[in-house]
Amino acid sequence: MIARIGIAVVFLFASDAALAHAPFSGAGGFYGGLLHPWFVPVHLMAIVATAAVIAQQGSPWNWSMHWHAPAAFAIGLAAGFIAIACAYAPEFSGEAVLAVAAMAGLLTALALPLRAILVATIATASGAAVALDSPPDVISLREAIVIQLGTFCGAILLMAAALEGASRLHRGWQRIGIRILGSWIAASAVLVLALQLAQ
Amino acid sequence: MRSRVTRYLLVFSLLLMAVPAHAHTGSVAGGFVGGLEHPVFGPDHVVAMVAVGLWGAFLGPPAIYLLPVVFPLVMAFGGVLGILGVPLPGTEIGIATSAIVLGLMVATAVRPPIWSAAVVVGAFAIFHGHSHGAELPPGADAIAFSAGFVIATGLLHLTGIAFGLLACWPVGVIAVRTAGALIACAGFVFLSRLV
Repeated sequence: MIARIGIAVVFLFASDAALAHAPFSGAGGFYGGLLHPWFVPVHLMAIVATAAVIAQQGSPWNWSMHWHAPAAFAIGLAAGFIAIACAYAPEFSGEAVLAVAAMAGLLTALALPLRAILVATIATASGAAVALDSPPDVISLREAIVIQLGTFCGAILLMAAALEGASRLHRGWQRIGIRILGSWIAASAVLVLALQLAQ
Repeated sequence: MRSRVTRYLLVFSLLLMAVPAHAHTGSVAGGFVGGLEHPVFGPDHVVAMVAVGLWGAFLGPPAIYLLPVVFPLVMAFGGVLGILGVPLPGTEIGIATSAIVLGLMVATAVRPPIWSAAVVVGAFAIFHGHSHGAELPPGADAIAFSAGFVIATGLLHLTGIAFGLLACWPVGVIAVRTAGALIACAGFVFLSRLV
């Protein structure tokens, strides 16, 4: 019996992630772009922290009050991709994503009630920073547009999933868990930002 | 017979799990796993982190969640100092002292106001952050490394909180205070090695 359980445990630990498409090597086109925000840790942190800030202000699906923040994120993304299409590629895009992640993580940890305009500004900055830090690594214009479209959809899906998940966490300890997650994201982003600026 | 076959299968499956042994561990060790290992394999860090969680649980709400939120944020400030090369005298002594002070707080059941508890924990977090920040690897693995050690730090806090929740019972209070005393003793051992 113990040996059987041992085999089961061994196979559990031996299992690896099942990837339909490798996120980077070999993955190109729309699917490569779609997976990009989910597998780049800095982008994941920035989007999740932004979603947590929005969710802390109330239900994200209460459109009469909170439609603006997810929409602002989408507008920021679109603006960033349009800027890349116009050959604008800032050198500080990585630092910008880290700064947004740090700011959103800090606000999540503080859990303060924020003005709607401030939440919308953070969401716009988050979207724009993620888009500017995702320039497609191809020469063909058609392929670049397809990748950007995939990244746009992936970022929107990630934002929607994180918003939906965070907005369902109503209990006291769940809210505390979100604040602790925010403090972890802020701490990690601040450290890496400092490292990049020091180099 | 079936039992023997099962044992052979277990041994065979363990053999399948074997991976090459690298003398230089490369990006994985420098990344998330390296970050996770960094606080866990430093006993002085471990006892101090657990003591933060223990003290938070012992003080009850809001300290139980405020201290684990404050610690990473202030630790990041200390980490920035370490990355920028700002010297912080007596970093290792500060880390050992954190174990002594936090352990004694739990052992003697000190219940200060929440703001002063946050100040004490935050002050020691700077020493821990400075130590981590000075060893942060450059390059693409930095984000994975920092996320790894921040999460490891948080999990050590949660371990302390989980144990500290035993203080709900009279016997648990004795166990938690004893753990605090042991942490303080460990801190004295770390300090004696440094001085």
